[in-house]
Order: sequence, then structure tokens, then C-alpha cells
Amino acid sequence: MNPQTTKSTTTIDATDTSAVIQVRDLHKAFGDNQVLNGFNFDLKRGENVVVLGKSGSGKSVLIKCIIGLMQVDKGMINVLGNEVPKLNTTDLDKMRAKVGFLFQSNALYDSMTVHENLEFPLRRHWIKTSKEEVNDLVMEVLTNVGLPHTVDMMPSELSGGMRKRIALARTLILKPDIILYDEPTTGLDPITGKEISNLMVDIQKKYNTSSVIISHDLNCVKIVANRVVMLIDGICYATGTYEELEKSTDKKVKQFFE
Amino acid sequence: MIKNIFIEIGLISRFTGRFFREAFKPRFEFSEFLRQCYYIGNKSLPLVAITAFIMGLVITIQSRPTLVEFGAQAWLPKMVSVSLVREIAPVITALICAGKIGSGIGAELGSMKVTEQIDAMDVSGTNPYKFLVVTRVMSTTLMIPILAILADAVSLYGGYLGANIRGVVSWDLYWNQVFDTLVFGDVVPSIIKTFFFGFAIGIIGCYKGFNSNKGTEGVGQSANSAVVVSSLLVFIIDLLAVQITDILNLN
Ligand SMILES: Nc1ncnc2c1ncn2[C@@H]1O[C@H](COP(=O)(O)OP(=O)(O)OP(=O)(O)O)[C@@H](O)[C@H]1O
Ligand SMILES: [Mg+2]
Repeated sequence: MNPQTTKSTTTIDATDTSAVIQVRDLHKAFGDNQVLNGFNFDLKRGENVVVLGKSGSGKSVLIKCIIGLMQVDKGMINVLGNEVPKLNTTDLDKMRAKVGFLFQSNALYDSMTVHENLEFPLRRHWIKTSKEEVNDLVMEVLTNVGLPHTVDMMPSELSGGMRKRIALARTLILKPDIILYDEPTTGLDPITGKEISNLMVDIQKKYNTSSVIISHDLNCVKIVANRVVMLIDGICYATGTYEELEKSTDKKVKQFFE
Repeated sequence: MIKNIFIEIGLISRFTGRFFREAFKPRFEFSEFLRQCYYIGNKSLPLVAITAFIMGLVITIQSRPTLVEFGAQAWLPKMVSVSLVREIAPVITALICAGKIGSGIGAELGSMKVTEQIDAMDVSGTNPYKFLVVTRVMSTTLMIPILAILADAVSLYGGYLGANIRGVVSWDLYWNQVFDTLVFGDVVPSIIKTFFFGFAIGIIGCYKGFNSNKGTEGVGQSANSAVVVSSLLVFIIDLLAVQITDILNLN
């Protein structure tokens, strides 16, 4: 896909023209279980890349390494010009303020209301301090995900799809340059899944983000993907647009599209 | 089995070491600390008070016959106050808190771990160890001594009522006797040890929760073993404390 031409904003750094995420020769093992085995990957600015792979193939591990939640065994990860494995805590936090992460299990804080959940990253990253600004932002993202009336509810009072949206709102509130989605539509009915997928496309257009999306929901992939990367046997086995891969004759790739 | 116990002890020590490395460096999570203090105090006070009151009452009633046998019932307040303040009130408080707070922390952090909330904090610019562990351990370390002091007072009041069931001891006489009996060596070491109780309860609850295994079953296990290990530790600390006061001639 041709990378979208983006108006340069103040947050954009020196590596603007090329990739916002570069992963080179990534290795990660848990004991004897070699999960990632020399994975290579680039994410260009403004691009939505879907990572496809079997359950347990290491997709979640991959994006957890990208955000620095897991230590890599070997290899290089560069996010917005920062070498993630070498960052100290302060710089890691600075980098994370620009990268949103949607957890597979949503990871909403059960002990906090929706409002508190949403303001948490803002306050913790020292971004907005005045109460009005925080409230405005909270309402803005809630409206964007279509749930402004839930602001004072607890996560336990929400349905699965609503929780997903709130989790998405919490990732969006920092206006990240990059969003990493871990299975945004899994466990949702096809209609809600489609809504979330469309929402993701809207977000990409509206905030001009680049995203990595982990999914094995082909409906979602069709809607959001500019490019698809197949994670098989711990490496980037194939890459291309959805249509290209769908026509692929390779057995391992074909399995996914049957 | 034995090997696992030693591995566990090693891991707990490392977890504790991390507490001392992180607790005294900024950023301090002061509001979360206060919230936890309030929560812990609020949650355990009624239970601690009721139990302490009953213990005071029961111990007094049960001690009377023995003392009567020796014709020493006038010593009742003396004897009861020493055993309550030195041993019963602090240990009962610690055990109740191990059951209530230790399991609560274990379950809360365990479920936060399992549902990736701890990771979510990490990516939101928050050091989860500081935000969750340091605040909780500090507040148990502070609150359990306070609860123990309250338990001392309530149990002594229970003792007063107990002494008045069969005999007659005036309010003034009772408290005069109590405060005459209790000396520095009774009160201070027993309060100091409650700080250690509180620390042990907090750190074990957090350790178990933070290292909870995946799955909801793991959460229950964390809560459960937090209670078992921290209760055991309370007794071990108690045993050490009595040895130390013995060596220092405070007994
Ligand atoms: N913290 C961990 N400790 C040990 N092994 C782990 C850990 N996290 C993941 N693994 C292992 O790494 C492998 C990949 O896990 P991962 O969660 O990345 O799978 P996934 O591709 O995201 O699967 P799914 O689609 O089911 O979410 C699995 O075999 C898993 O057992
Ligand atoms: Mg996963």
C-alpha cells in the first residue's frame, strides 16, 4: 500500500518518512518454547497492519515486546526512533505515552469508574492537569466510541462490547501516534465486531495513527488491513495485502483463508 | 518440597528487597497510600474491635478461678492486662488482618495480574510495583499497629467488664492497677512487633498477588496462600520477638 501522505504535526520525529516501528531479527523464548525466531517487521506511518497467526503463535508476545512489557532475548526493536530494549524507565514511559495498547482482555481497572479509567493514563503521564481539560477529553473520546452515557459506570456494569470500546477510548485518550490492538474483535458478535472495525478505521483517519492489529477475525481483517503479515513458526512468513494473500498458493498461508 | 520452600523464601526475599529499593525513591504515590490506609482501617476495625473485646472478657472470666484458688483475685487486672497487651491483642489483630487484608490484597492484585491490569498500569506511565505494592505494604505497616493499639484498649475494657461479672472492681481501681502493672517493657516491644506483623502481611499479600498464576484459579490460590503464609509468619515473628525481649531482659 502506498503510505498516506501526512501533514507533519509537532509530535513527529526524525524518522518521519519511513517506518514508525521496525523489528529486526526478534527472538523470544520461554524456557524451551521458542516463540519468536527471527521475526522482521516494519510499520509505516499511517498504515494499518494486521498480524495473522494461529493461537499461541506469539502474536501477543510480539506486541508486548514492542511496548517493552517483555524483555527480548535477541534482536532490535525501534519505535519512533527509540531502541526499546535499551530504554531506561523514564524514556520508556515517554515512548509509551505515544503508543496506545489495547489489551486482549481489555484490562479495565475494575475498582475505578469509566471516568477514572480514562483519566488514569492522562494523569499518570502528567499530560493534562486541569480538571476541565481532563473532563473535556474524557467526554470527547467517549463520544468518539459512542458511549458518553457510561461515564460514571463501573466496568463490571458494562457488556463485553462496551468494555472493548471503553478500553479503546482509554488507548485513544493520549492521542497516540501508534496503536497496538490485541484482538479487538474476538469474543464479540459479528455486528459489534464490524462496528469496532469501522471505528478503528475512523480513528486511523481522524487521528492519523498507524496501527498494528492482531486478529484472526477475517471480517475485521478485510475492513481494517492495509497490509497483512503472517506470523508462522516465529517468523514473518508472508506479507501482502489481503487480496494477495487470499490468492496465495502456499499451504500454510491458505489455511487461514479457508 | 523442601527445595520449593527455599525457592519461595528466596523469591519473597527478592520481592522484599525490591520494596526497599523502590519505597524511598520518588515518585511517591501518596494519595493511593492514604486511600489504602483508610480502606484497611475501615475494613478491619469492627472485626478487630469485636474480637478484642470478646478476648478481653473471656480471658478475664477464665483467669478468675485460678487466681481465687491462690487467694489472689485482687491480681486479676494485673495478670489480665499483661497477657492482653503483650500477646493476645497484637496477635489477634495481626491474625484477623492476615485473614481479611492479606487475602484481600492477594485476591485483588492476583485478579489485576490475570486480567492484565498490572500491565496496563505499566504502559500508562505507572510503575505498578510502586503504585500497588509499596502503597499497600506501607499502609499495612502503619495501620496494623494502630489497630493493635485500639485492640489493646478495647480488650482491656472487655477485661474490666469481665472482672465485674463476679466481683466488684471500680472503674478507677481497675485502670489504676492496669497502668501500674504495664511498664515500658510490656507496651513498647509489643507495639514494635506489630509493625513487623503489618509489614509481613502486606508483603506476602502483594507477593502472592503479583506472582499469581494465569487463570481465575490462580487468584483464589493467591488469596488463600497469602493468608496461610502471612499467619504463619505472624507466629514466627512473635516467637522471634519474645526471644529478643528475653535477651534484652524486658520480659
Ligand atoms: N508469560 C509467559 N510465560 C511463559 N510462556 C508464555 C508467556 N506468555 C506467553 N507464553 C507462551 O508464548 C506462546 C505465545 O503466546 P501468545 O500469548 O503470544 O499467543 P497468541 O499468538 O497471542 O495467541 P492467542 O491468539 O490465543 O492470543 C504460547 O505458547 C504461550 O504459552
Ligand atoms: Mg494473544
